[in-house]
Amino acid sequence: MLRQKLYITGLFLLAGTSACAQGRAAAAETAVTTPAAKAGARIQERVLKNGLKVIVWPVPANPSVSLYNWFRVGSRNERPGITGLSHFFEHMMFNGAKKYGPGEFDRVMEAHGGRNNAYTSEDVTVYQDWFPRSALETIFDLEADRLANLSIDPKVVESERGVVYSERRSSVDNDNSGLLMEQVQATAFVAHPYQIPVIGWPSDIEGWTQQDLERYFRTYYAPNNATLLVVGAVTPSDVFALAEKYLEPIPAQPAPEPVHTVEPVQQGERRVVVRKLAQAPLVHMAFHGLRGRDAEAPALDLLVRILTEGDSSRLHRRLVEEERVAIRVQGSRGAGFDPSLTWVFVDLPPGGDPARVEALLDEELARVSTTEVTDAELRKAKNIAVADFWRYLETNSGRAQALGTYEVFHGDWKELFRAPERYEAVTREQVRQVAAKVFGRDNRTVGVLVPETASSEAEQMQEAAR
Amino acid sequence: MKGWTKTALVLGLTASMAGAQQPSAAAPKPQTVQRDAARDSVKLPKARVLTLKNGALVQLVEDHDVPLVSFSARLRGGALGDPQGKEGLAALTAELLQKGAGARDAHQFAEAVDSVGGSLAVYPGRESLDVMGQFMSRDTALMVELLADLLQRPRFDPAELEKTRARMVSELAAEKDGDLRGLIGTYFQAFHFGAHPYGRPLGGCEASLAPLQREDVLAYARAHLGGDRLILSVVGDFDAKQLATRLEKALGGWARAASPAPVAPPTQPLKGRRVLLVDKPDATQTYFWVGNTGISRTDPSLVDVSLTNTALGGRFTSLLNTALRIKSGLTYGAGSAVITTTQPGVFAVSSYTKTESTTQALDLVLEILAGYRQQGMDAATLASTQEYMLGQFPPTLETSLQLATKFSELAFYGLDARDVDDFSTRVSSAEPARVLAALQRVVPASEDLTLVLIGKAADIREAARKYGPVTEMRLSDPFFAPPQAGR
Repeated sequence: MLRQKLYITGLFLLAGTSACAQGRAAAAETAVTTPAAKAGARIQERVLKNGLKVIVWPVPANPSVSLYNWFRVGSRNERPGITGLSHFFEHMMFNGAKKYGPGEFDRVMEAHGGRNNAYTSEDVTVYQDWFPRSALETIFDLEADRLANLSIDPKVVESERGVVYSERRSSVDNDNSGLLMEQVQATAFVAHPYQIPVIGWPSDIEGWTQQDLERYFRTYYAPNNATLLVVGAVTPSDVFALAEKYLEPIPAQPAPEPVHTVEPVQQGERRVVVRKLAQAPLVHMAFHGLRGRDAEAPALDLLVRILTEGDSSRLHRRLVEEERVAIRVQGSRGAGFDPSLTWVFVDLPPGGDPARVEALLDEELARVSTTEVTDAELRKAKNIAVADFWRYLETNSGRAQALGTYEVFHGDWKELFRAPERYEAVTREQVRQVAAKVFGRDNRTVGVLVPETASSEAEQMQEAAR
Repeated sequence: MKGWTKTALVLGLTASMAGAQQPSAAAPKPQTVQRDAARDSVKLPKARVLTLKNGALVQLVEDHDVPLVSFSARLRGGALGDPQGKEGLAALTAELLQKGAGARDAHQFAEAVDSVGGSLAVYPGRESLDVMGQFMSRDTALMVELLADLLQRPRFDPAELEKTRARMVSELAAEKDGDLRGLIGTYFQAFHFGAHPYGRPLGGCEASLAPLQREDVLAYARAHLGGDRLILSVVGDFDAKQLATRLEKALGGWARAASPAPVAPPTQPLKGRRVLLVDKPDATQTYFWVGNTGISRTDPSLVDVSLTNTALGGRFTSLLNTALRIKSGLTYGAGSAVITTTQPGVFAVSSYTKTESTTQALDLVLEILAGYRQQGMDAATLASTQEYMLGQFPPTLETSLQLATKFSELAFYGLDARDVDDFSTRVSSAEPARVLAALQRVVPASEDLTLVLIGKAADIREAARKYGPVTEMRLSDPFFAPPQAGR
């Protein structure tokens, strides 16, 4: 369902809500009396001697557990030559350590009823385990082994390059939307490493060296660069005891070099055109936006919802329903460590007119920048944001993701429970101000995918016409 | 923002996989672990069940963990009700149900849902239309009102119809420009099942949608929407007694559908080999499905087949993923799936690889299927697979929407709470001989296979011929199977 598809985007949006701290007593009281806030009251945290922070949220309803380990490393920490390395390393973390050799991490976890995955973004790499409570100690043993003693076997590295290249082919090279998005992002940033695609450039995927991987592991896979979330059918004392037994002996490392490059202010629109075999054109617009912890982040979040979320949203109504120039409009707001892009993605019908789409976007984005949105629109966006907040708190994995997002991007998981009141505090004028700040034409990169017809098809069509 | 991940495979609708590695020192003692996870089995909560005068079945479960209420409404019929040549009619009707109903036009209806942070959508299924929704519990009355309007008083406004139909046609074309991992299943089902209703593309195809008229939609609605077709399950933060009264009032007067619910004719595995090659001239990798007809949702061997599928291609260490990804790096993901319906659906393997390694990957798949049929899985793999299924089952029933969907699914197939309550016992007590029998029944024999390949035909045409007689079409064709595929 549509809103479920938006959960991931929404979660990143949620990431941006903590810094706008005008509290309201009534809203705060509401939050405290809710069941989730009560459950949240049972959350406990502990920092191990090696700097690893462990946060435990006991939820007894379902006999399973979600364990999320967040590392502060992503494509933001890369440079030309090693682009995509954070993501590639994510793959290598499953390929064997000292006690559990190649393939054993997955094999043992699955044999104990567990499943895992991981994801890499521009900012973080997050490892996720979902398992029955009976497997808790085994999971700690597995996680400790790979963090303390990862083996980086050159033969495995070579095989895994093929896997990652296949992932790139699926999501970028053979997916027009992924392809255009990559080009727009690379064009929007000239200095900041957010220009680097998380999957990496092809020649770098082929070119990582053993030394690159070993250095990455030493630098970023340190307990003091991670935050561990455990949510579900557990008790905090058990989790802390296991963390001390298995993870505390792993030594801390010197803090990684900070990323200090600041993207210079953009002083004029940038454009990128991709010509590709396609049935339909695409238009993407990306604007330099905000950091997750910026004070205006909740206002920008609500603005993006007003523009793109649901069939009643402004851009859907105008472009899809009224003018019929698009078949889908989606929005997204990055909320990372550094100012990230705010996106509008438009899918056009075959034969659609990108120039007309751009003109309508110009009009609509200018409108929110000069005139306040209505009370009803703001109320709607707040209601959607708060309902999404509750949807995350329905599952252990949603709780682990939401809690981790606030802890990592805002510095305190407790901010999660203040999110509803921060949304409530946003005013119409704040929404207009953030629109004026972000949606400037000089602040944007426009990407257009122009369809080309296969020559063989064109020939066949000509023959058919004869 | 894109999240790049370790895994992206599995088609898995039902179950899963595989590592044929020998057990090592680190391996668990299966019996001990099995007992642990089985103890943590989940039970379905008790529902308040009502049958309305018109035959509608209503199941209500209170769950006050979070202030949300979710529902799953299933209407028997779905794409089975599409007349021949009008594929996508159920899907068009489903879209239009959301485009204005009762006192609200399309925009007012969307506004009513969005303004309270709700979600409400209709999905066309192969054998039912599924309406799903989730609202804040304070908006339960509005939720009932919108659902009742949508079901009983849709407007089917002509302007909305024309617009929606055009958009659906464009979406099908545009989808072919995107990641094909999702779309290839539609080609497979169309080619494999041919003229059988299970071959119909659920969303129709560009050619079949374009000529649909309002009269078609009205006829579908008359024939297939009605109180006797409805199974409604609601789970969440509400008072069941009050909600029962409210639903009885809102839905009890809904007339019966004009036609009896359509029934799918039997399906069976096909004999022989057949290959469909779909040309995507700029492809740098080949996407493929390989399979045959499997089992139905109510098959008594479902759990054994799920174990079979889990070990073959339903988890990360599955036979397929181990061979195609972990050991050879040929692909980002390889998996298998059991698609279960009232009649047996598809059992298929799915993967993709760069154009140059198409033959290598397909040969490996055929080799694995043949070996698996012959040898089955060893005791350690079976034990691990059991444990995996036991451990991964509880999170599938964690949210109010998951629970509501499960209640409706069980009622739709005439199943009851035992399907959930006895799951862990059935998995724990699976016998190797029975699992082997199920495996040999559903994993297709090498000589009886349907293969669908999407890729650069100029480069893989010769390779495709190696696997059977080839039928070709283009990705840009406005349908999902060549006309001669009808059987």
